[in-house]
Amino acid sequence: MSVTAPLALEAALGVVLLAVFVGGLLARGEDRRGLAWLATLGVLVVGVLSAFVRPAGPALGGMFVQDGLAIFAKRLFLVATFIGLLAGLSLPDRVFARRAGEYHLLILTSLLGMLVLASARDLILLFLAFELMSIPLYVLAGFLKRDAGAVEAALKFFLVGSVSSAVMAYGLSFVYGAARTTDLAKIATVASVSNPLMMLGLVAALVGFAFKIAAFPFHMWVPDTYEAASTPFVAWLSVAPKAAGFVALFRVYFEGAGDRAGAWVPIAAFLATVTMLAGNLMALPQQNTKRLLAYSGIAQIGYMLVGVAAASASGTAMVLFYLVAYVFGNMGAFLVVEALARAEGSEATTAFRGLAQRSPLLALAMLLFLLSLGGIPFVAGFWAKLYVFWAATERGLYWLVLLGAILTVVALFYYLLVAKRMYIEAPERTGRVPVAATLAIAVALCALGVVILGLYPKAVVMAALRVATPLF
Amino acid sequence: MIRLPVLSIITWAPFVGAVLIMFLARHSPLAVRLIALVTTSISTVLSVFIFVIYDREAAGFQFYEKLPLVPPLGISYEVAVDGMSLLMVLLTSVIIFAGVFASWTVKERSQEFYALLLALVTGVYGVFVSLDLFVFFLFYELAVLPMYLLIGIWGSSGEVRPRGIFGWAFRETGVGTKEYAAMKLTLYLLFGSAFILVGIFALYVSAGTGSFSFLELEAASFDPRVQFWAFLAFYVGFGILAGIWPLHTWSPDGHASAPTAVSMLHAGVLMKLGAYGVVRVGMGLLPDAAVELAWLVGGIACINVVYGALSAMAQTDLKYVIAYSSVSHMGLVMLGAATLTEAGLNGAVFQMFAHGVMTGLFFALVGLVYEKAHSRAIFTMGGFGRVMPGIATAFTIGGLSSLGLPATSGFVAEILTFMGAWRSAHPWWLVPAVAGTFLTAVYVLRVTKQIFWGPPSPHFQHLEDARGPEWLALVLLTAVVVVFGLLPGLAIGPVDTATVPILTRMVKP
Repeated sequence: MSVTAPLALEAALGVVLLAVFVGGLLARGEDRRGLAWLATLGVLVVGVLSAFVRPAGPALGGMFVQDGLAIFAKRLFLVATFIGLLAGLSLPDRVFARRAGEYHLLILTSLLGMLVLASARDLILLFLAFELMSIPLYVLAGFLKRDAGAVEAALKFFLVGSVSSAVMAYGLSFVYGAARTTDLAKIATVASVSNPLMMLGLVAALVGFAFKIAAFPFHMWVPDTYEAASTPFVAWLSVAPKAAGFVALFRVYFEGAGDRAGAWVPIAAFLATVTMLAGNLMALPQQNTKRLLAYSGIAQIGYMLVGVAAASASGTAMVLFYLVAYVFGNMGAFLVVEALARAEGSEATTAFRGLAQRSPLLALAMLLFLLSLGGIPFVAGFWAKLYVFWAATERGLYWLVLLGAILTVVALFYYLLVAKRMYIEAPERTGRVPVAATLAIAVALCALGVVILGLYPKAVVMAALRVATPLF
Repeated sequence: MIRLPVLSIITWAPFVGAVLIMFLARHSPLAVRLIALVTTSISTVLSVFIFVIYDREAAGFQFYEKLPLVPPLGISYEVAVDGMSLLMVLLTSVIIFAGVFASWTVKERSQEFYALLLALVTGVYGVFVSLDLFVFFLFYELAVLPMYLLIGIWGSSGEVRPRGIFGWAFRETGVGTKEYAAMKLTLYLLFGSAFILVGIFALYVSAGTGSFSFLELEAASFDPRVQFWAFLAFYVGFGILAGIWPLHTWSPDGHASAPTAVSMLHAGVLMKLGAYGVVRVGMGLLPDAAVELAWLVGGIACINVVYGALSAMAQTDLKYVIAYSSVSHMGLVMLGAATLTEAGLNGAVFQMFAHGVMTGLFFALVGLVYEKAHSRAIFTMGGFGRVMPGIATAFTIGGLSSLGLPATSGFVAEILTFMGAWRSAHPWWLVPAVAGTFLTAVYVLRVTKQIFWGPPSPHFQHLEDARGPEWLALVLLTAVVVVFGLLPGLAIGPVDTATVPILTRMVKP
């Protein structure tokens, strides 16, 4: 069985969205967690459906393409969202029980934006999808509206986000002016380095992308937002919108560009350098695990930009693989923090003291995620780093690879500090850390992903190569 | 007859042991030890077996196995041994066999301890036998990473007092504690592996054969510029593990803090792994750059020899003395390799073996002394020769081998290295090399006299000599030191068949 209707996933998600919306109107009482289950299972169904989706021809007059890249990305978004929602089911705060309808409606809307974004091959649709994805995120960041920290974080996120959207729209208008079309396929045929207007527009648009993926120096919103917002949401925020940003980046800058993609090597290499440096160095002094993961996440984006700097089919494919590894590793780490924070009431790294003796499995899962983020063999992150380095080597960017490899040592320092707290230091309290069943399943799914990809990366790598090759 | 995958069994037996220990021996410390003993014995027996049946006439790589892993990228599991790796495999098995006995008394979390130790050993074997550079790298990482937990959990903190104008910085970072040492060691070695990875990629891309196989890369010829930079990358990367100055500082801290078996394995085998990498990958694949940069490798090695020995003289902590002596002896290894002569290179490889066994013996002894006397401070101890004659004798034999007394394996290694240095392009290297040997005699004899043969200290009258399994470790290691000192031909024969091809590929200046 295969689904070849181009808008099948979007339509299915739309149905789920409407169901949650109507359910929200009908629901009464303080506890509306039924809606949360509805949304989670709905995403699961759409996710299962995505397994049967096959590439289809362009729709909406060529604005919307359901090609391999789009399907690969959509599956990734759905998996990440499912894990994120699953982990959020057991949030203890009463606000989440009462306002479950709004919360999930916003997440699903943002997810719809991502799905459309992955398929957008037109500047207008691209920009609309970007905003559809982003605006619910601003609201979600400030969801706990009585919490001053959350409001501040949401405002910061919103201000930086809307400025970058404005710059991006401004840049895209130049692109339109130079190409006289909004169709990305046609733009790719006329885009050339020698057209200054086009280059100006694309560089300005890059600012918008850099903000979405949180590359340095557009990362300022990340640590505060992550620290203040609810952790299952942050786990999702830290991976899914970034993945969407990368896919859009490939669409605009690489698709159909062929050898001209090489023009982006210096800029991407520069962004990769500063992002890796800034993320890794700023993560060093962090005492709050969520802030630590926020900065380490910025560094991870830097590594993905190394793959972008390769500006080749293999580089693009390796970034896609990196994103898959990153989804499991990063979400998993955040969810362990969540589990511990619920039990200990603390998100500081000191909460991890002696975890290995209290809950060996939870500690082992965290260790796996940290090693994966650090790029250690036999877990997913190793292959991810290796492959982006590989792609960059083929471009001749030896210095960038060396820098990245050396910075992984810096990264391992702060990851190992958490490992030290878990394995070497003595516990402050005794007894197992209680973990809600749904959260435990989410963590287990992430751990499974990290280990399977670590032992058998080939299938995903090959799939990524297959979908990335037609872009060039 | 079915050909047994001997090398795979040697490599993976400890790993199987680690898995079994994690899953089967949950609450039985004895079962943990027995599983560890059986699996390492399998490796040891087979290592001796292949050492004996290795065809010295045919030479080259033998016991070859190949299994494609990722064909499109040219990665395969490809293992074989030649004369050089043969000796290293033997060394590893001797050390780990003794190490299992030496850590028989580990009490705290012994299940995890043995599991990590055995996983580490698989990594070490894997590095020595693999011919595919990519798999080589994976094994290398496996050999480095468990170290963090092994030192961090089961290590011991030194009695280092923060002093001098940087005292505050020492206090802040916790110099001397096991956590500090574990972190420092891990980060240094991973820093090195970053260079190795880039070097491997550079070779892979510029060879253009689409294969990581050592044999295929050996057949390719590289552009001089690529050779130069790749050799530097490998030299720095592997050199960190081999303890080259000034990147050696992780080694004294790490070895002093590590638990006995880990110190034995690390100083005895892992540092050799670094030197092995420089010779095998650096010199073997990049012969022109090796000639061009021999002055650098040899020059730094000279600093190592003298600096390590002087530092060892200044220590008051017994474990630090041994650790710095490793830095000094690794200098001799690198010096022998840098001479690019047959005698020198044979001396270097033989030194790896001799020093590995010797330093393993030292760390086993220091571990025993520490366990009994609960002290590592040299000047509080004295007269242990009365109460622990066995340990004292073994220590003295190890010490004499360390300073290169004839009839010990240390002598053979040093004389070969000196001969190599004399015939090399830089005969002046002989001066620091011989000076280093002299300094070694000073600190080894001083320590031996103070601890074992000096006037007895009143605090330590109740101590006992080694017992049961500990004896086995000591006798085994001491016997190897002496046997290979009397019959060096046992090892030199196969090593020679491996080093000569490396040298013949070099263009003499």
